Amino acid sequence: MKRRNLFTRGLVKENAVLVLMIGLCPALAVSGTVRDAFGMGLAATFVLLFSNIIISIMRKKIPNEVRIPVFILIISTFVTIIDYVMQAFQPDLYRALGIFVPLIVVNCMILGRAEAFAYKNSVIDSILDGLGVGLGFTLALTVMGAIREILGNGTFLGMAILGEGFKESPVIFMILPPGAFLVIGVLKALINKYVKKETQ
Amino acid sequence: MTSTKNMVLTLLIVAIVCSVVLSFVYSYTEPRIAETQAQLTLGGLKQVINAQEFVEIIPDTLWNAVDSSGILTGIVFRVFPQGYGGPIPITVGLDLNGKITGVRIASAAEGLKETPGLGVKITEPEFKDQFIDKCAPEAQLKSDGGEIDAITAATISSRAVCNGIKNGIETYLNYLETPIDKRCVFSDAREFVEIIKDTLWYALKDADTIGIVFVGFTQGYLDCIEFMVGVGTDAKISGVEILYSSETEGIGEAIREKEFLDKFKEGSAEAITGATVSSQVLIDAIEEYITRYKEYLK
Repeated sequence: MKRRNLFTRGLVKENAVLVLMIGLCPALAVSGTVRDAFGMGLAATFVLLFSNIIISIMRKKIPNEVRIPVFILIISTFVTIIDYVMQAFQPDLYRALGIFVPLIVVNCMILGRAEAFAYKNSVIDSILDGLGVGLGFTLALTVMGAIREILGNGTFLGMAILGEGFKESPVIFMILPPGAFLVIGVLKALINKYVKKETQ
Repeated sequence: MTSTKNMVLTLLIVAIVCSVVLSFVYSYTEPRIAETQAQLTLGGLKQVINAQEFVEIIPDTLWNAVDSSGILTGIVFRVFPQGYGGPIPITVGLDLNGKITGVRIASAAEGLKETPGLGVKITEPEFKDQFIDKCAPEAQLKSDGGEIDAITAATISSRAVCNGIKNGIETYLNYLETPIDKRCVFSDAREFVEIIKDTLWYALKDADTIGIVFVGFTQGYLDCIEFMVGVGTDAKISGVEILYSSETEGIGEAIREKEFLDKFKEGSAEAITGATVSSQVLIDAIEEYITRYKEYLK
């Protein structure tokens, strides 16, 4: 039961983007389309999961004084791996995400989980935690991407789903930067309501 | 002391392991990345012209398109006209007649900076496919005298694409072996019916003959001059293009200049100072040819 909580709390109740409000930079910048948002979410989940695993394995060997540089080294290694792999196999996605792939290194969500969880807990727990937080991040980004792409471009994954007429003149505002703030605000409000209800 | 040594050692080991892992990943993905990049460029070129291979003439700018048996089928060039939000990367294919075979405009993911929802519509087939089969003078917005419909609320982007393509064609047309399309000397005509092989054509519009187009030769100052002329049924010249000339660089070659050639349309062509021989023989030859083909204009 407790282990299941480790996984599920990151999905909604302690969602990194919508509840803890961390990792906002990529969430706002690359949630213009579902494809970009989902790709970014998976890339961050990959890095988070594997850095959690490695850091958890090494947690007893890392001297406390140099733990942050060691975390950064490990995280940036995985970011560089995903950077190369994406460039080789998903060049379109790579160009769409641009600078935000290397910037996963400084995503405070990943360093935050390393410091607050993986450094203190077992490997299994760290895997569950990394998956939960990472998929929660992916979920939040994908929902934002879906709302913004459908309203702002009239498409979902590039397919016109609200009819050709809407695609001709969509709510352009939604895929421009202000749309990201509006969507994240509305989602945050909904989450607040939902989470409060549950704790009462 | 032990703790300092421990710190340094840990960092060192972690750094070495990370470097080794990364160099393995790099050596595995590097050829694949290079291949993907090359394919992206090649794929972009193949989208605008039907060809097997591309021979780079100007790096990243101009290619000869060659079919499987090695015969030149056209050229592909890239231009970057200034749009509303930044330069617009455009790839254009031209066939041997100087007509556009296809246009590819980079998407927002590939660096297009036009306004989402408005300017980016230039990448859609409804807009860019209008250019297919057009020659340079037609590749302009309707409001500028061409045949392209602008995108509503994105006139700046639309016009930038047109101007980029038109200027590109004018710059790179001389890389084609037979560079001039007949429409370039007779832009009103829609069809051409050959009367004398490779020499004389009727220009048709809506099934009416509205003039003729012919190719003529004359001896210039240094070498033969080959030219193409369009003449309307009212005996007025609709356009003149030089197909071949090899006159003195910077002097006689002035006959290729638009300013000189455009004067034929007004019927006021006159010899160019400093290039009298080249320009005068051309003027005389065109007059002579028009007289010769006069009966076809009736």
